[in-house]
Amino acid sequence: MNKKIRKLQIINIISGVLSLVIFGYALFVFLRLQPKMVAFEVLSDIESGMMTGVGFGLLIILAFHLLSLLQMAIYIKHSEVIKAIPLILFIIGMISMLMVFSDVALLNDINKQFLHGMTQPEWSLVYPIMGFQFVITLIITVLHISGFFKPEQYDKVARDSNIYLIVQYVGVICGLMGLASSSLGFVFPRAWSLTIHTTMGGIILLFPYVLSVAYWMLTKFKEKNREWWDEKQLQDIGKSALLTLLIDTGFLLMLFILNYNHLDGVVSILWLPLYLFATIFVFSVGNLYFSRKG
Amino acid sequence: MRMILKLKNDLRKFRFEHDEMSQQALANAVGVSRLTIHSIETGKFNPTTLLSLKLARFFNVRVEDIFFLVKEEKDNE
Repeated sequence: MNKKIRKLQIINIISGVLSLVIFGYALFVFLRLQPKMVAFEVLSDIESGMMTGVGFGLLIILAFHLLSLLQMAIYIKHSEVIKAIPLILFIIGMISMLMVFSDVALLNDINKQFLHGMTQPEWSLVYPIMGFQFVITLIITVLHISGFFKPEQYDKVARDSNIYLIVQYVGVICGLMGLASSSLGFVFPRAWSLTIHTTMGGIILLFPYVLSVAYWMLTKFKEKNREWWDEKQLQDIGKSALLTLLIDTGFLLMLFILNYNHLDGVVSILWLPLYLFATIFVFSVGNLYFSRKG
Repeated sequence: MRMILKLKNDLRKFRFEHDEMSQQALANAVGVSRLTIHSIETGKFNPTTLLSLKLARFFNVRVEDIFFLVKEEKDNE
């Protein structure tokens, strides 16, 4: 176990440093290409290749985030209690990881608009988003180097509760972000697309939740005398399932009534993600609340 | 005012008398999560008969030695 953690730490340090270099390279490329693209000047083959290089670099940044989240999850799993700082780092790391997908979407939009001779307002978003990711990558890399994410103890845990709680925290964040992004469809109904916003956006926002559930299931499969939940968790899940049923029913009824006269409008491609993310959000909040309250 | 019966326990006391064992160690011994032991000790969760028997067997005592009923007064609404 110790060797595996050490290997993961080294991989994370290398990919973290590499990611920081890639952010620097991306800044260099953007500063060089933005004035040309905004002025609709023709890009040379080398300049187009530089932009493709940024795309490949984003894959390394994504890999760094995923591996760092794995190391944080292992650290939290072996902690006696979930402390605030690792939890906050895990959540911020997850948000930063999701932002890699928005980087890809923004750069794709910029390229399309440039090719069609349209203005590219997305440039103003690229810098703050990647700036935020750079800061997070720097912090996490420094913490990897300092050995912050090395588990304090390797005691065997018969029934895990920390990963179960982490899944609930991820559910709260993904549910909330999914609800917020899906609600934007009501603000910009004409710009909302079934393929890009509802389907792709939904899949991307579900991605961390699916990953965390998969990791929780993996820890379960490794358990001796496996039981999916222990007594307290089973009771909490039952209570939050009832709460989710009540709130979801009310929420969908309200959605139906508010859109009664235009059910063929944007609500026809929004109801499913709204339902899905509301379910994940309420269920996760319920589980966290009942795990504390009893 | 009406009287109600509430389930209380001395699990924490037994754990401390047992070489001050940690909640995690006890949880591992009876096959539950640490949070379940914590919730029982703080009175937030009533364990099943099976878990109560496992805890009693682990400490080599009777279930009634760990768990007991106490009368509490409750205001009528």
